[in-house]
This record gives sequence, structure tokens and C-alpha cells, in this order.
Amino acid sequence: MIPDTPEELHVLAGEYVLGVLEPDAAREVAGALAQNAALSRAVRFWEERLHPLSGLASPAEPPAGMWQRIESGIDGAAKPGWWNALWLWRAVAVAATAVAACLALYIAFAPPAAGPSYVAVLHAPQGQQPAFVATASPRGLLVHAVASETAPSDRGFELWAIPPGAKPISLGMMRDDGRLELGTLPPAISPGTTLAITLEPKTGAPHPAPSSAPVFLGTLVPAK
Amino acid sequence: MHRDAQLRALMDRKVASLASLDQLLAGVQHGSRAALKRLYELESRRLYGIALRIARRPEVAADALQDTFVQVWQNAASFSPERGNAAAWLTGIVRYRALDALRKLGREVLSDDPALGDTGDEPDIVAQIDLRLAKDALRRCLDELEEKQRRCIVLAFVDGLSHAEIARRLPAPLGSVKSWVRRGLLSLRSCLEP
Repeated sequence: MIPDTPEELHVLAGEYVLGVLEPDAAREVAGALAQNAALSRAVRFWEERLHPLSGLASPAEPPAGMWQRIESGIDGAAKPGWWNALWLWRAVAVAATAVAACLALYIAFAPPAAGPSYVAVLHAPQGQQPAFVATASPRGLLVHAVASETAPSDRGFELWAIPPGAKPISLGMMRDDGRLELGTLPPAISPGTTLAITLEPKTGAPHPAPSSAPVFLGTLVPAK
Repeated sequence: MHRDAQLRALMDRKVASLASLDQLLAGVQHGSRAALKRLYELESRRLYGIALRIARRPEVAADALQDTFVQVWQNAASFSPERGNAAAWLTGIVRYRALDALRKLGREVLSDDPALGDTGDEPDIVAQIDLRLAKDALRRCLDELEEKQRRCIVLAFVDGLSHAEIARRLPAPLGSVKSWVRRGLLSLRSCLEP
């Protein structure tokens, strides 16, 4: 039971930070931190204020090979991000049928291009309404809006390529008219690559990684 | 080379000039392994000492240290300098990892192991306060506590002892220990809070 009076909440948070709670009680506190802002503030208060006491433990040399162990631990654990999120890929799967229908129409009317070309229809993760269409060929990549989607004034749409199993790679900010043209084809572009658009600050692009979940996305498929 | 890989390479070259833990954590947030390595070089002895004091077994402390740095790599984004002190954030992670490891082993079993003696031959940690703790607000507020309250709080935080273990170490009845911890926390809070 997480108490709701400030005094009891502070005592519980202090006992949690000290580490005196029995395992079940400690797990209950740890589990409640994400939802309970007051508890989380109280825990942070104690962590910060009691921190100098940790200086009473004498520093000690970690065992040899420790850094290598950490590196292998890192290599075994993927750095989490929204592109690993299950809901996102479920949403992509749900929308696949609608996308296929749009693509068929688009391919029928699109001009022929030399060499292999790929197309993608980008739509909101939970929606099926196309917002952007992307065409890629050896001549480059063109993404343009097919609906009147606008970004909030302080931010812009940034386009990302996400090759299967890889991290997002920024392709740059979309222009205000909803277009983005690249004269050469980025190496990350191939069938199966997901194109995603996120809302990002207008300055500093290309950003090293997206700061939020995509507002539109779609997967490139061969056009013929 | 991809743009983010180029950016990371640039950041890796800059790491040597990064001095503060805040800056290094920001580098880790952007995926710079060199920043994590530098953080390890600066902090691993301090953090391992904390883990060893709590876990009492080198292999358990080493596991806690490894988990800590993997967690820092994965969750660096959850740290922000506006919200707190980087060293305290790292201390929190290693202490919880060491306490978790103890709980998994069954801390009662571990602390009853005579080979690990809850021991008299290490220097009394509470006596170290005067020697090793800066004369700041925490020190002043600890000095205001009753001796038993102070001992309970320090033993718990530094040695990772549970209520029951403190009761055995002192020795004192469990109920008294619980009440000393509780009253000590309440006094500390009213002393520390502006």
C-alpha cells in the first residue's frame, strides 16, 4: 500500500532509498514510481540529499576485464527507441492493405523511371489516410505531401530512413511546401526500408536521432 | 558514412575534452561509446566501492557494476541535469542494482553466512562521518539526530542493511530499529527541507 499522506509518503520513500524495505515492499514502491509523481519526487529528494553518505564507502578497483564485460553487455542489449516499439509495427501491418491499394493506383499513374525504383505511402501510425508519397530511383528520392498536413510553427517535419533492424537515419527536414528532394539515392534506401516523419526542432537538422514517435510512416516496396 | 555515424565519430573525438559527468551523459545519450568509456574511467572505482560495500561479495558487486553501465547506456536519456546531480543519479543506479542482486541471492541467507561476517574488523562506518563527510547540510542534520537514529540510517544507506540486519548488527529489537529509522527520516527531512 502506497500511503497518501505527505509524511508517510516521505518515510516510505526514505526507507526505499535507504534499502531497508523487504523485497515485496521495495518492488511495490519501484512499480509505483512511474505513476505516482509525489512518490517519485520524494524518492529523488532522498537520493539527492543522502548521496554524500555514499562517499563513506571506499573506492575500489573493479576486477580486470570489467570494461570488456560491460561492452559485451551493451552489444547484447539493443538500445531501445520508438522504432523498436511493438505497437508501431502492428500499426504498420494493419495499414498494409490500404497502402497496397494506394500504391497500385500510384504506380498506374506514375511516370516510368530508369532502373529499380521503390515507392512508399506515408500515413499516420493509427490511420490509413495517405499523407505523403515517396518515390525512390537511381535518380534520387522525392517525397511530397498528398494531404495538407502542416507542422506546428516552431517545429518541422524531419524525414528518416529506417532500414530493417537498424536505427533511423535522418534524410533532412521537409520543406514548408511539403516536399523533399534528394539528387542521389541514400544508401539506406532499399526495399523494406521504412520512411518515417517526426516533428523536430527546425534548427540543428539533420538530428542524430528522432526525439519523438513518428507522425507518418510507410515502407518502401519495389515499384515494378 | 551515415550522418548520425559521422556525428558520433565527431563526438567520440571530442570526448577527451569533455570534463563533466553531465556532458559525458549527454554524449552517451547520443550513442557515443567513447563517452561511456570515459564515464567508466572516471566513476567505476567510486561506484564499485559502493557496490562492494553493499553486496560484500566481489562477484556480486561486479555484476551490479556491469548492470549499472549497461543501464546507463540504455537509459541515459532519462537523466537530465535540470532534474538532478549526475553523480547522485549514478549512485542511485548502482545501489539499487547491488540491493537487487542481494535480494535475488536472498539477503538473509547471505548475511547469515559466517564467512562474510557482519563484522567487527572493518572501521566503524558511523565513526567515519566526522572524518570523511563534508561539513554540509546533511552532516549538520545527521549530527542533530539521536545516536541510534543516525547509526540506523548510515548502516542502511552505506552497508545496504535491512531493518532485520540492522537489528542483528546492533543488536536491538526489530521494532525499535524500525522506529529509529522512521523517526530519523522524519527529523532529517524537516532539517534538510528549507
